[in-house]
Amino acid sequence: MTSARTRPRRRWAYVLDVKGSPYIYIAPFFLLFGAVGLFPLLYTAYVSMTDWNLLETTREWVGLENYAELIGDAYFWNSLVNTVSIWLLSTVPQLLGALFIAHMLNRSLRARTFFRMGVLLPNVTSIVAVTIIFAQLFGRDFGMVNWLIGLAGLDPIDWQAGTLSSHIAISLIVIWRWTGYNALIYLAAMQAIPNHLYEAATIDGAGQATQFWKITIPMLRPTIIFTAVVSTIGGFQIIAEPLLFQSGTGNPTGGSDRQFQTVGLYLYEQGFGRYEFGYASAIAWTLCLIIVVMAVVNFSITRRIKSG
Amino acid sequence: MATITRPFRGVLRPGRSAGFWTYAALIAVLLGSLFPIYWSLVVASQSNDAIAKVPPVLTPGGHLFENIARVFDTTVFGKALLNSFIVSGSVTVSVVFFSTLAGFAFAKLRFRGRGGLLVAAIATTTVPHQLGIIPLYILMGELGWTGRIEAVIVPGLVTAFGVFFMTQYLTGAVPDELLEAGRMDGCTTLRLFWHVVLPAARPAAAVLGLFTFMQAWNDFFWPLVVLTPGNPTVQYALSALASGYTTDYTLVLTGTVIATVPIVVVFALLGRQIIGGIMSGAIKG
Amino acid sequence: MFSKRLAAGLLALGVLATGCGSGGEPAASGGPITLTLNLFGNMGFKELYAEYEAAHPNIKIVERTSAYNDHHRNLAAHLATKQGAADVEAVDTGFVAQFRGQPQHFTDLNQHGAAALKDRWLPWKWEASLAKTGAQIGYGTDVGGLAMCYRRDLFEKAGLPAARDEVSKLWPDWAAYFETGKRYTAKKPAGAAFFDGGPQVFNAMIGQAPVGYYDTADQVVVATNPEVRKAYDQVLGAVAAGQSAKLVGSSPAWNTGFAKGQFATIACPAWMLAKIQDQAKEFAGKWDVAAIPGGGGNWGGAYLTVPAQSEHTKEAVALIAWLTAPEQQVKVFTKHGILPSTVAGYDKPEVTGLTSEFFNDAPIGQIFTTAAVNLEPQYQGPRAGDIQTAIRDAINRVEEGKQDGPQAWEQLLKDVDRIEK
Repeated sequence: MTSARTRPRRRWAYVLDVKGSPYIYIAPFFLLFGAVGLFPLLYTAYVSMTDWNLLETTREWVGLENYAELIGDAYFWNSLVNTVSIWLLSTVPQLLGALFIAHMLNRSLRARTFFRMGVLLPNVTSIVAVTIIFAQLFGRDFGMVNWLIGLAGLDPIDWQAGTLSSHIAISLIVIWRWTGYNALIYLAAMQAIPNHLYEAATIDGAGQATQFWKITIPMLRPTIIFTAVVSTIGGFQIIAEPLLFQSGTGNPTGGSDRQFQTVGLYLYEQGFGRYEFGYASAIAWTLCLIIVVMAVVNFSITRRIKSG
Repeated sequence: MATITRPFRGVLRPGRSAGFWTYAALIAVLLGSLFPIYWSLVVASQSNDAIAKVPPVLTPGGHLFENIARVFDTTVFGKALLNSFIVSGSVTVSVVFFSTLAGFAFAKLRFRGRGGLLVAAIATTTVPHQLGIIPLYILMGELGWTGRIEAVIVPGLVTAFGVFFMTQYLTGAVPDELLEAGRMDGCTTLRLFWHVVLPAARPAAAVLGLFTFMQAWNDFFWPLVVLTPGNPTVQYALSALASGYTTDYTLVLTGTVIATVPIVVVFALLGRQIIGGIMSGAIKG
Repeated sequence: MFSKRLAAGLLALGVLATGCGSGGEPAASGGPITLTLNLFGNMGFKELYAEYEAAHPNIKIVERTSAYNDHHRNLAAHLATKQGAADVEAVDTGFVAQFRGQPQHFTDLNQHGAAALKDRWLPWKWEASLAKTGAQIGYGTDVGGLAMCYRRDLFEKAGLPAARDEVSKLWPDWAAYFETGKRYTAKKPAGAAFFDGGPQVFNAMIGQAPVGYYDTADQVVVATNPEVRKAYDQVLGAVAAGQSAKLVGSSPAWNTGFAKGQFATIACPAWMLAKIQDQAKEFAGKWDVAAIPGGGGNWGGAYLTVPAQSEHTKEAVALIAWLTAPEQQVKVFTKHGILPSTVAGYDKPEVTGLTSEFFNDAPIGQIFTTAAVNLEPQYQGPRAGDIQTAIRDAINRVEEGKQDGPQAWEQLLKDVDRIEK
């Protein structure tokens, strides 16, 4: 084969290929993402400043009216409080549990792959299936959880009716699905910790617990921050679990007193229950802002705790 | 980057071998993980009069296949399964292909604006997706796709995570010298992509494909919004089945089994790769 | 702002990539026509489809059922976006006022020979789906004339009379019904409350009032209509006295409640008979049907409509005309107990003489046709369905012990204000 350099026409094609083709390779991603990812997000901002209702033919520009209304909307604040509560109740035990499981897995185990697959299994099952199953387990009259509570001699709990009880039940769904996943992430980070740190500590007479707190946890700091931020982003968008937890009762209000309606669910109620697209878009943008703020706050808190 | 093909760093830590309590704790976790799934199987294998018994029925009965047949007879689960396979399959193929293509460009080609575009792509992974659902819904309406599975396929065709993932992998997996040599021989970048990069990308593509497939299979919210009960994906069909119009709870739980089985099978066969993918992703942070 | 062409252009690539042009829509030409029906709940048509298909070899019928609220919510969106609706869509009484307000989205049945069929129906049933423009958007299927279903065995255990005539005499009005509830509750068998849930009883009560949630000028009168508050207070009194099983209507727990026999009475429109038989199989022969307290009243009942977006208007209209014809409706009634709104069939011997073995040979034909003929129709406004849900939530809040009656009422009025807005 002759070298490309010897022929001018070939060289021109070569330059075009090297300089131009990369844009063609990344174009599908950016075009599609622009159309179905970025554009909708920006267009949400526009819609949020109109009184757009899908069922009505007229729509008008209302400026920031939707946002003003949102600030005075007790149901929105209620949903925000619920979201924070469910997020806390699910994230803290989840990450602590994940640390514990990772610590257990980070030993010379028989059937290592089996155990790893076992803890990850909940994560691959569908939210819909899992929530249906849990809703049944937490049933008031014939749920298995209340049956166990009854065996212990206590009164049954109307899980769906209570504020705290419904938050706990929903949080358990989240915890069940995500603890194993986070455990594997921690496990990977634990295995990346250089062995000589532990060896040196052993020589210094440090016990296992001391090693865990003084070496493992500090070395995991970036990973813990990462998981905390990711679960913040996920936790604030939670919709499917509260929606399906009350399946069959019709409207997506999160219980008779909106006791477990999250912001995401309120967005759904306004957007696709009442088809108030303008108002729902205002909720979407506000939620987006809250998530960004919370992720940043979370980032700085987890950083401070661990370095302190 | 070889961590993907060799996911388990088989470091046995001396003096930290697992004792009785470790196994006991892990087995307890495992039972907790399995129980809800097991229980759905139990209910799905019973007849309707066995549900809501006190004490609860805890062993499988003999009605599973009969119940499965009833689910397919009385609901749109057959169509829903087909839809889910079409959606998840095309989304997976598309995400893997376009991610590899873009990842190749970002990892191995030099072009103006590369750094900025890469950062832009990565930044989009943090955008909460469902916040754009209202315009997306409007868009699908304009296109006439409301209630059609295109509405679920097209928004899933590319993911920023995929591009990020493949860029990371290809940076290390394909030696620059190999590409240089190919160029010397007069290969176009497209030929390089086809003959060098794609084969080299296979292990990472498999992991990305698995994740994408599972995610698409389990996706619920967007199909709920844009599809119809008559033409649903399997998750939507399941949520509709559970919403109270059926009087037969064994059917609902049989539905959960049907919706879960394909994923559990994939997981059982390829769990090792999935775990490797998660753990290697974590190392890169 | 939103250019169709721009959107299509942006996504052209995606379409090419999927190579996927079909979304499950039936082929428009050549081969058989598939007619899709979106229904909620069991409307008892299943056996009729085969008959219709046999008589019309080019027609294939596909029925899809979804939950009550989901169904109407989806329908509203599919009409607004002019896509995604089925060829035939069912609409419940609670929502018919909302949809008759948008007649442009429906095929005007008056343009398709409806006038000739008009005499089939009870006059108010025909009126309720008639738009202000004069367009007829739907053909009535069933009517929810009320009775009270009760469990004989539980009544006996609680020391109450069990024969249906005597039971009917127990409760000439709702106050007497709740008095009976008190007597029942004092000696009730374990695990079975007097009624299923407050909101369901409330629906039956308000269904008898001359004015419900709306006046005839489409103004919401929940706050000012004394009937609403009276029924609300009466129901909550009974809830406080422990008469309610506190099951939320249409929820999975409610369904389980039938199967487990968690309540002794339930206000039953005719369509409820089908539900009880489906779910409470174990209790065949133990259920019976007595008169409704207060007499009369309507709860539910549906219409079949053909959305304007249907590609098979002619065939769909022919189908709903056939399904709602007295001959077919009589079959639905005798097979499922769902009472037709087509009076034309009421005098048929198989209707007047119909008894139900499941309900202890109760003469359901006579009971329900009488109820339907005698009921005073109540005017339904545009958001009646949503208001009903808000009231349900208010009563549930009290049943769940989260609020007392006045608190729940106050919040209800705020919710109603928002619905109205």
